Amino acid sequence: MLVEGKNISFSYDGFSLALRDVAIKIEKGEFLVILGANGAGKSTLVKHFNALLPLEQGELRVAQIDLRDEKDIWLLRRLCGMVFQNPDNQFVSSTVEEDIAFGLENYEAPRDEIPERVRAALALVEMGGYEKRAPDTLSGGQKQRVALAGVLALEPEIIIFDEATAMLDPSGRQEVLAIMDKLHKAGKTIIAITHYVEEAVAADKVILMQKGRILACGSPEAILTDLDLMKAAELLPPLPVRLYHDLRQAGVHLKNCPLTNEELVKEIWQLKSKT
Amino acid sequence: MKTLPAGQYIPGHSFLHQLDARTKILCLFLLIATVIGALSLWSYALVLAVIALLILVSRLPVRPAVAPVRGIYRFLLIVFLMNALFFGGEEVLASWGIFQLSREGIRQGFRVVGNVLLILILGNLLTMTTLPTQVTTALESLIKPLKFIGVPTEDVAIIISIAIQFIPTLVEETELIKMAQIARGARFESKKLLERAASFIPLVVPVFISAFRRADELALAMEARGYRNAKNRTRRKKEPLAPHDYCALAVCAFICLVQFLLLRNLV
Repeated sequence: MLVEGKNISFSYDGFSLALRDVAIKIEKGEFLVILGANGAGKSTLVKHFNALLPLEQGELRVAQIDLRDEKDIWLLRRLCGMVFQNPDNQFVSSTVEEDIAFGLENYEAPRDEIPERVRAALALVEMGGYEKRAPDTLSGGQKQRVALAGVLALEPEIIIFDEATAMLDPSGRQEVLAIMDKLHKAGKTIIAITHYVEEAVAADKVILMQKGRILACGSPEAILTDLDLMKAAELLPPLPVRLYHDLRQAGVHLKNCPLTNEELVKEIWQLKSKT
Repeated sequence: MKTLPAGQYIPGHSFLHQLDARTKILCLFLLIATVIGALSLWSYALVLAVIALLILVSRLPVRPAVAPVRGIYRFLLIVFLMNALFFGGEEVLASWGIFQLSREGIRQGFRVVGNVLLILILGNLLTMTTLPTQVTTALESLIKPLKFIGVPTEDVAIIISIAIQFIPTLVEETELIKMAQIARGARFESKKLLERAASFIPLVVPVFISAFRRADELALAMEARGYRNAKNRTRRKKEPLAPHDYCALAVCAFICLVQFLLLRNLV
């Protein structure tokens, strides 16, 4: 197990709990999506994985590092990279290459290696040639890809996307999702937090959170098609799932509940061929 | 592209554009000293000649190069009056209570206003021929010697870099908040100075709150990328200065010396 934790509870103010007795297991190479409405505790949970929040209660091990012991936090943050929601609030330097080098400089990477590692990270997010650009001249999707390159330069085992697509336009979102998929295929462990249910379809595992608790954990098919579960999490199921149920109510029975538009078209086509 | 409020960068290939930003900043300091040191008409003639030559060498259009002159006339008027009315002197032309208008005061007023204008034009020439990123990098490099008197230069360099990096974002945010306030009936265009200042209070508060929120998020993002302190980090390699940079520095130092040794007291 790459991430293993139990009985994790956390409170920001000492009164109300933002996390309540959470248990979690994530395998190496897994693509996990954590879904939940605002205030469900998604970000609070993942901020424990790289020790941005202290482990107040419970047990947590990430990449063999016990989070109860603070001495390995610095190493942990290299192994567990994080891309945040607002790309504008992640840049520390005036040029793309200097910003990507920031993490490498923090980990005292040899000076001669830095330019090559910056170039490699930019190539991974398909942003080669943007080295000298100022971050504020890039589009939202490009900014988020540069922020991701800054994380990738450190060669982490786990990459957390903390609502990294929330502030992007549809094309920017697609850019980031495509890179996420590419990294997953390359064997990286991806943890994505979102309240866009459509983004959970491609995941290996989905965790549904509500009011600091894990409501359910399972495959996208099991979670996203369960209307009661989605309602309890204060989320709307993906459009094809809603259409499947609406059609059912109207007397049209599709064979399987589709998760994507393509699957929906296929199901309708199959139904049409039968009749 | 959003640029720094003072002196928008104009791309070019002139001699001034090609100079290293560190050289340009050092030359700016030398020329500011030359301006401040000017007392006689001859010494001002030297400064004006240097500025004219710089505008010529930069191949920049004259109008934007001297643009700061137009924007701050109210401020300059106040500076002039403060000097003219409070400087004192032997040849008093008129007096009203604590105010005393003297020939020396008027001369001092003109001198201070002139100095401010000339320094602004020089600063404008720097930002018009240098990318903000180059200015940041140069500043980081130039403050290094302060380490020997106990200044935490690495931390200051990171602070400068982040502050400059955040200016366009904050300018954009201020504009957005301003528009949101205008949409709800706020007015920022009053001609009365006090009314105008008061109308900006509802703008300043949300901008500050937003800046603090951004600073929090940035600190978190920096921690997530392994930032502990500025000391334990890989140092960046600095490019050495080119021969033309040394020439420019020598010329500016020479101008400064001529000012202080020869022209300053020449009537």
